[in-house]
This record gives sequence, structure tokens and C-alpha cells, in this order.
Amino acid sequence: MSDYFHTDWAAMTLNDWAGLIITVGVFFLMVWAYVYTFNPKNKEKLESQRHIPLDDDNESEDSRQ
Amino acid sequence: MQASLDQKYNFDIVKWFTVASVIYLVVGTLVGVLIASQLAWPVLNFDTAELSFGRLRPLHTNAVIFAFGGCALMATSFYSVQRTCGVRLWSDKLAWFVFIGWNLIIVSAVITLPLGLTSGKEYAELEWPIDIAIAVVWLAYGLNFIMTIATRKTSHIYVSNWFFLSMIIMITYLHVVNSLAIPVSAFKSYSVFSGVQDAMIQWWWGHNAVGFYLTAGFLGIMYYFVPKQAGRPIFSYRLSVIHFWALTFGYVWLGAHHLQYTALPDWTGSLGAAVSLAMIIPSWGGAVNGMMTLSGAWDKLRTDYVLRFLIVSLAFYAMSTFEGPVMSAKSVNALSHYTDWTIGHVHSGALGWVAMVAAGALYHLVMKLWNTEMFSAKLVNLHFWLATVGAVIYIIAMWVSGIMQGLMWRDYDEFGTLTYTFAESVAAMHPYYAMRAVGGLIYWLGGAVMLYNVIMTIRQASSATNTSPATAAA
Repeated sequence: MSDYFHTDWAAMTLNDWAGLIITVGVFFLMVWAYVYTFNPKNKEKLESQRHIPLDDDNESEDSRQ
Repeated sequence: MQASLDQKYNFDIVKWFTVASVIYLVVGTLVGVLIASQLAWPVLNFDTAELSFGRLRPLHTNAVIFAFGGCALMATSFYSVQRTCGVRLWSDKLAWFVFIGWNLIIVSAVITLPLGLTSGKEYAELEWPIDIAIAVVWLAYGLNFIMTIATRKTSHIYVSNWFFLSMIIMITYLHVVNSLAIPVSAFKSYSVFSGVQDAMIQWWWGHNAVGFYLTAGFLGIMYYFVPKQAGRPIFSYRLSVIHFWALTFGYVWLGAHHLQYTALPDWTGSLGAAVSLAMIIPSWGGAVNGMMTLSGAWDKLRTDYVLRFLIVSLAFYAMSTFEGPVMSAKSVNALSHYTDWTIGHVHSGALGWVAMVAAGALYHLVMKLWNTEMFSAKLVNLHFWLATVGAVIYIIAMWVSGIMQGLMWRDYDEFGTLTYTFAESVAAMHPYYAMRAVGGLIYWLGGAVMLYNVIMTIRQASSATNTSPATAAA
């Protein structure tokens, strides 16, 4: 198992480091997005946007002006 | 009310893209029916290079993806961004430049591809001068879309616009990198990439064209038009946010699953397959989100034929986003790769998901833009059933054909030699190729019915406008 996870850090190229940092960064961003979105405190704020497409049929010429 | 909306927003450009999209649906699928028939009955190649399968196949894919799909995306995105942001398009001139430019690119594809002028890169066959034109027009489209959002009168950017934005940004990046080439003449160039890097770039583009153009873009359509047509808000806005970010972060990893068992390093294929399987979660989350929008109002499906297109397209979306990851797994890929199963998978996504969600949105647009009902609701229903039955026949034919091909190619006898020659496997495919052509023809008939219905609706609306009391008084 330790062989499987062994990494030769000294052999890492610039591309390898860029890929590693982006990958790990994206992973943490996804964790943050998940926690933020499903945090009950943010439920009302986010769900209030559901009606946007339905509101545009009710608009008059200057309702949004 | 309609007149004030017509003045406030640029609906003219949306109308042109809408009509163009329906026309390209009919033309693109007609070429598809021809090339499907050529595979079943080779005499239909007419011994003419310009009409042969090899020349017309890229014409079919370009016509349905970039002509039909592109015009549908531009019509729906230009419409929904104006409505959800409460402002007119940032630049009318730029919008017309995009419409004319995009259509000139389509015309150039119709001329160059049958002549055999091709870069040889799948789903990116057009030669370098046209590639540059695509980049310029696409950037103009993106600039107009982004600036419209930037000048919005609303505080929040609705989720459909996020999906369109991710498509615009990623397709710019993908198209430019994949098309990097060294020109050697006016219509011949060679990719700057070679060998396995070229293959990797090709499928990084190829799968992300599916992921961002045919999925993210059409999910933008779904998130605006399903709630609009159903008259109900999307089931969960939070789920749509997770759907967006998971799809955007995840899709870019998948391309390598097209290159299992090749010279590409083994781990890249494994990574592509692993992320593909993980993508089932956001994809199904999105499909469920769209379908559950009808929760408590399922009866609408009995009477609203346009809504049927939108909801059934989500069923196909769920099916093909489950099938794709399964096919990317190495053990399944060993059987499915290079077979017609892949063609069946692509068409369950293209015919079932992309074209049906687009058809639903285009019907909705025609009624909104011309402020009328469809000329014939029965013909919408007929189109729905022709599209559904045609797509199912096509997909089943390719499933059976593909799995049979894979099993025949890998079958060994007791002496360790192949049981079947390649020619024998081709002969065994004939009934399924004929069945596929019939399925495609039925699907095309549905598109032709739609075109007729749309033309009659517009004529009806135009004559009603001309004979209205206000017009008569004038």
C-alpha cells in the first residue's frame, strides 16, 4: 500500500506542481461550495432566486427601471 | 404589453436564430439519415466523392451540433439573458454580427467539407481560416452576453446564465487550443500537437464539447425554459448551484476515457473513468431537479405537449449520463470501444436530450416571440411521438449492433484464433444499420413537422397582426 501511494517529490516538474495545486484547490473549493449551499442559514437567500424566470412575465415597461 | 416588451428587448435577433435553428434541425438530420442509409446500402454513395460517407459525416455532425445546436443556444441564451437581467442586449450590432458570422461559417462548412477540405480532427474538422472566424464570432457572442449581464438591472445572476457563461468561456478555451495548427496553404494545416498529445488534446476538446456545449449550454436552456413552460419555480435552487459547480469542475477531467487501452498513460484513463462515474451524481441531481419542478402538477404533461419535450429530454439526459460513465469504465470499455454502442450513446444524448430540450424551448420561444399559440397543438404532439419513437429505435439498433460487434470481435475459438472475420461482423450489422436509418428517418419526419408548424404559426401570427384593428385603423 505504501508503494502505491509513494511519490517521488524530487522528480515533480513545474507542470506536475501546477496540476497538483489546481486539483487540490478545486477539491477544497467544491467542499466549500457544498457546505455553503447546504448550510441551512443560506437556504432562504438561495431559494428566493427560484422565482426569477417567472417574474419576467409580470413585468411592465418600467417595473424594473 | 407585447409591444412594450418588443421595444424594451431585442427579440428580432432571437426570432432569426429561432427560425434558423429549426431549419438546420431538418437539414442536419436529413444528412444524418442519408449517411445512415449509406452504411446500410453503400450504393447510396453514388460513387461520388463529394456525396460519400466520409465527406458527409462531418457535414452532418457540424450541421446538427454547430448549426442547429449553435442557433438554438444563441436564440435561447440571448432571450433568457435579457429576460432574467431585465435589460436589452448590450449591443444590437454585435448580435447581428454574430448571426451573420455564424451563418457564414455554416455555409463555409457546407462548401468545404464535401470538397474534402478538413483538418481531420473529429468535431473540429473545419480548416484554419474558418477556425479563426469561429473564434472571432464566438468571442463577439460571449462579449455581448457577458456585457448584457454586466449591465443588468437585477442583483442576482440567475443560474441559467451561469451555465451559458461556463459554456462560452470553456468553448473559447477549448476551441482555440484544439485548433492550434500550422497552415501550409489556404485550406490545409497541420496540428501543432502530435502523437499521443494530439490524441489527448483531441479528446479533451471532444468530450468537453459534449460537456460544455451540448450539456452545460442546454442545461442553461433547461433551467430557464422548464420553469417557464411549467409555470412553476425550479424544484431546488440550491441543487442547481451544486449542479453547476460540480459539472463545471468535473467535466474537464473526462476526455481521457475516450482513449482507454491506447498509448496514453494508463492512469489518465483510470482518472477519466473515475471522475466520469462521480459525475453521475451532479448529472442526476440536475435531471431530478428539472423533473421535480413538476412535482404536484404532473397532470400538465397530459395537455402541454411542449412540456413533454422538456421533461422527456431530462429522462434521456439522466439515461445517457448514466450510460456514459458506465461505458468509460475499463471493463465495459473493452467491449464497447470502437463499436456502434458509442454511436447509440451519443445519439441518446443528441436526439433524446439535446434536440428535445431545444425543441421544447424553441416551441416556447415561437409562441412568446410571435405572441400566439402554435398553429397546431396536434402537430406538436405528433412531433413529440415521432421524435421519441425515432430516437428509441435508433438507440436500440445501435445497442444491439454495438454489443454484438464487441462480442464478435473478441470471440476466440479453441485454437486461440478469432472466430469471426471483420467482414463477417460487418455483414451481421446490416439489419441494425437498416433499423437505424428507419429510426433516423422517423426522427427527421418529426423535425419536418416542426418546421411546417413553426412556419404556419408565424404566417398566422403575421396575418393576425396585419388585420388587427389598430393596423386597419392606420
